[in-house]
Amino acid sequence: MRYVLGRLGQAAAVLLAAFTVAFILLQAMPGDAIMIKFENPELGLSPDQIAALRQAYGADTPLPAQYLHSLLGFLGGDFGYSIQSGTPVRQLLAEVVPGTLILAALGFVSAVILAVGITILANLPGLRRIADVFRSLPSLFVAVPVFWLGIVLIQVFSFQLRLIPVINPGPIEGLILPVLTLAVPISAPIAQILIRSVDDVLGYPFVAVVRARGADPWWILWRNVARNAVLPAFTMAGVLFGELIGGAVVTETVFGRAGVGRLTADAVTQQDTPILLAIVLLSATAFVVINLVVDLLYPVLDPRLGPRRRARVAAPRERKVVSV
Amino acid sequence: MSIDEREAAAEREISVGGTAPAERDERAARLPDPFTPQRRSLRERIGRPRIAVVLSVVWLILVVLWALFPSVFTPFDPIAGNAAEAQQAPSLAHPFGTDATGRDMFSRVVYGSINSLSGALIAVSVGFVIGTAIGVFAGSSRRLVDDILMRIVDVFLAIPSLLLSLSIIILLGFGTAQAAIAVGFTSVAAFARLSRSEVVRVRGTDYVEAAFASGGRFLPVLWRHVLPNSLNAVLALAALQFGTAVLSISTLGFLGYGAPPPTPEWGLMIAEGRNYVATAWWLTTLPGAVVVLVVLSANRVSAAIAARGRIS
Amino acid sequence: MPKPRRILAGLAAATVLAIALAGCSANASPAPGSSTEAGAPVTGGTLVYLEHQTHTGLYPPGAGFYPNGGIVNNIADRLVYQDPKTLEFEPWIASKWESNADATEYTFTIRDGVTFSDGTPLDAAVVAKNFDLYGLGDPARGLTVSEAINNYESSEVVDKNTVKFHFSAPSPGFLQATSTINSGLLSDKTLDLTFEKFGPGNAANIIGSGPFTVENEKIGTGLDLVARKDYKWAPKSWSNQGRPYLDRIQITVTPEASVRVGALLAGQAGLVRNVEAQDEPQVTGAGFEVFAPQTNGVNNGLSLRFRNEKLSDIRVRQALIAGIDRAELVKTIYTKNYPLATSVLSKTALGYVNTEDKFAYDPKKAETLLDEAGWKLGSNGIREKDGKPLTLVVNEAAPQPRSFDALTLVSQQLKKVGVDLQILKADAGTYAKAIQDADQVQIYHSMVGRADLDVIKSQFYSKNRNTLLNRDNSDQSIGDPKLEELLEAVASTADPKARIEASQTVQKYLADEAYVIPFFEEPQVFAAATYVHGFASESVGRPSFDGVWIDKK
Repeated sequence: MRYVLGRLGQAAAVLLAAFTVAFILLQAMPGDAIMIKFENPELGLSPDQIAALRQAYGADTPLPAQYLHSLLGFLGGDFGYSIQSGTPVRQLLAEVVPGTLILAALGFVSAVILAVGITILANLPGLRRIADVFRSLPSLFVAVPVFWLGIVLIQVFSFQLRLIPVINPGPIEGLILPVLTLAVPISAPIAQILIRSVDDVLGYPFVAVVRARGADPWWILWRNVARNAVLPAFTMAGVLFGELIGGAVVTETVFGRAGVGRLTADAVTQQDTPILLAIVLLSATAFVVINLVVDLLYPVLDPRLGPRRRARVAAPRERKVVSV
Repeated sequence: MSIDEREAAAEREISVGGTAPAERDERAARLPDPFTPQRRSLRERIGRPRIAVVLSVVWLILVVLWALFPSVFTPFDPIAGNAAEAQQAPSLAHPFGTDATGRDMFSRVVYGSINSLSGALIAVSVGFVIGTAIGVFAGSSRRLVDDILMRIVDVFLAIPSLLLSLSIIILLGFGTAQAAIAVGFTSVAAFARLSRSEVVRVRGTDYVEAAFASGGRFLPVLWRHVLPNSLNAVLALAALQFGTAVLSISTLGFLGYGAPPPTPEWGLMIAEGRNYVATAWWLTTLPGAVVVLVVLSANRVSAAIAARGRIS
Repeated sequence: MPKPRRILAGLAAATVLAIALAGCSANASPAPGSSTEAGAPVTGGTLVYLEHQTHTGLYPPGAGFYPNGGIVNNIADRLVYQDPKTLEFEPWIASKWESNADATEYTFTIRDGVTFSDGTPLDAAVVAKNFDLYGLGDPARGLTVSEAINNYESSEVVDKNTVKFHFSAPSPGFLQATSTINSGLLSDKTLDLTFEKFGPGNAANIIGSGPFTVENEKIGTGLDLVARKDYKWAPKSWSNQGRPYLDRIQITVTPEASVRVGALLAGQAGLVRNVEAQDEPQVTGAGFEVFAPQTNGVNNGLSLRFRNEKLSDIRVRQALIAGIDRAELVKTIYTKNYPLATSVLSKTALGYVNTEDKFAYDPKKAETLLDEAGWKLGSNGIREKDGKPLTLVVNEAAPQPRSFDALTLVSQQLKKVGVDLQILKADAGTYAKAIQDADQVQIYHSMVGRADLDVIKSQFYSKNRNTLLNRDNSDQSIGDPKLEELLEAVASTADPKARIEASQTVQKYLADEAYVIPFFEEPQVFAAATYVHGFASESVGRPSFDGVWIDKK
């Protein structure tokens, strides 16, 4: 219990620190949102008009006051308004978060499927001769720029083969290519883990023993690889998921989808602080929660960890790295 | 606590997993039918990866030579173009074609290598130096310091990396080095976690305990025993990050945060050439192919480093 | 261990496949149908229109931003209509109008029977309320003054159908201002909204009297324009006098240029905006139609900030003009839809006068001028004076077509005469600051579209866009009072003929003083599928969908 409370306290500290760091970072940027919005010569506003607007926005209040104001607002659930567009930040987020979550979740699941597929292909006896090709796929997957991949997928599947429209597609159609675009680079590290786990398992002496007793080799693989690979894969889910939400920006831009990534990129460009602070809080919360969940799931997934973990809490100096 | 270890472990899996050539190859050879006796000779097993690694190294050396002596490889000026020859497809005179203002793309790729390579190098160095420093210090410190340091790393991870890198570029100004630093910062957390877990692992080994038990002082033991044995995995991650960094810089170019013109830079070339994907494919595809080869080679070399660690 | 050969082969194969497929897609478009056989307009149907940016707000004075204007132009009517070809005015919501001799008083008669889409009547009172807001702004609500309206003082509702506007000084441009999208008429309730409520997410509540209303808005990805079945107050010259032919227009935001064009060619969209010059051949080659309405204002070009030390010498400015081959620029980067500029104003702009001879390309002359001005060729090919290199910075004008490519080419051209031209690429905050400082950005790349004589004042006047930085932002001083005087004359001369002369004086003055280097007359480039007919735009290239119809089965 004390452990859980401690974790929660640390999580809260991480949240507050992330918020503060983001606030400082954003304030340190040259110019501000009002300047970007209204001092644009294209609007043709005179200096007096701009001065009046600055005053109306309270842009010249001291920073500590602004910090407290937004912190208290956030604690009370008030995210404020976008400076650039005037839309309530809450509404902006409500509009984009579900889409990004679906994209990220499906992207992750597809990445796992893709990775499993590559692993199986790389190990199929019949495909022995070209196993090397599959083994080099993960390296290739991480070497291709995502935006290029997205554009080429659109050119090929939508414009050339005309299988899937990219403009106003149905809810399911519209996810296929973006999910694929997102899944390819993410599948690479997962595939690498899986391929290595298979190799590891096959390297264990006990495999020969089990086989000698007449067990099905594929069953051995399945059982042991699953056990070995699920943990790191879960851990990676925690890290990647946060990255996915930000990393989806490229996919969202190429496919013209609304999403957290695009909202972030646009808001950074406009220095739209209220949006960015809300996004930081959101992603930090997601990060902390996912890590807590993974942490709690660990002993469930792998009973071997139970006692050792308790021992670790009691005697933290003797921590040992798991799973390698 | 355990999160760090597991994630670091996972990160090590990413960096090392699947790319430990000798060892993996050995097993791969056995894989298709793991239950038949090993038939390949040792030489065969060790010989094959070497060709790949050698080729990768040769390619990387060639690219480094581009960076150091670009004028040896191409007669054209990467910045001055000839408008009459704008947007030409690849030919003998212009193996990579020309761009919208008539500049030779091959010479832009060659001259761009210095910017891209040094960018990637800076990015990796930033992540490596800061991350490893934090990680090693945390891994060898008391629980409280360790906790604080790793929570700071968590803050880095909790802020979306996109926001972090864009903000850093805005703060530092546009440029290859600035973009590289921004990319480097986003990998600080990965390096910190990995190096910390490695240090913790090595600390727990018998010989380090023995070193402490035989009266060794903290820093010398850390320096002589812990560090050398922890660094292999971290170096492998560094080599891997090298390739990733080129791509990340390219993505920043896509988002409009690339190096200022007219600097030739690979990532920016790919990003800007994408508008021509249907009309002048060479503008994005050929620099893209160069980057893919560099990333693949870097991964190969990373794997070789990791393998050395494992075998020894 | 994979054999590198295999990786290479696989990579090559993948690349070739991708290229081949991508390349094919350009030619594999549907057989071109003949748009010439278009018969009688068909009512009904949905048009998919691809925009490249998302709209940022529908407050009409802020509708200069293109995606905003594209929506406002279709949901809000104006008092008068300006024919985009002849630039003449005709009745729209105002059935007639008059002004006093010195243009300080305007009276409009509002036609009967016009309603906003929420059912409320459009009468003199609401018109007065519109212009009180656009003419005076409301900083407390974050709502700005319209750039098009000068010297506004007050309104006066004479009766239900008559409204009068008073100005503190002559405002001859006001009639045209009432025709622009910046003066779109909104309902009484809408005018009470704060800036926040004009933003994305609330577009459906922006109520005008135009032929379309907003529905189905999805922030960041688009919205639908839905026809008003009871619309019957179109300007007389519109081809369609009844309800809009189309039932619905789906405006879909598609940021990637290659995706917009590819989607059009693949039959996934009916109309796309912002077809880049390099994609035009691909579109026309496939039998699709390209529309390039002109923006009728200040040409796309460079403003030379003469208050900067390096550019304060007229010989240096003249050398820059002589060192830039504008014809090569237009030929290499653009298409025939981008005519070479012959004055600071477009040929189709009001009051245009040809000053082409001042912008001739003559690199020899450029070198001589620079030599005379004391800029000697340094060892690295860049000229120097007192140890300082002749390095100048120009901003990248991101909203303008291919600004970056154009400036890259200009930079290559200037290099040949020993001038080092750097292109500023920075984040929005740094950029916003830098372009206001002649020591950071000496050359400003921009354009402005507005079909009124005032447009030249909008671009150069110290209290408007101030692109020359004639008013220094640090001490508010004016560098060239004569230019100020000439610009003020354009905006406040009541006599129409004298006003045209005033504009021509400014054009000649800008050319004589070598303050500007105009590049081309900027169009807005659209491409349409063959089944789309009746495309039209207002006077600065915003699409008008009222008369558009489709014969897609």
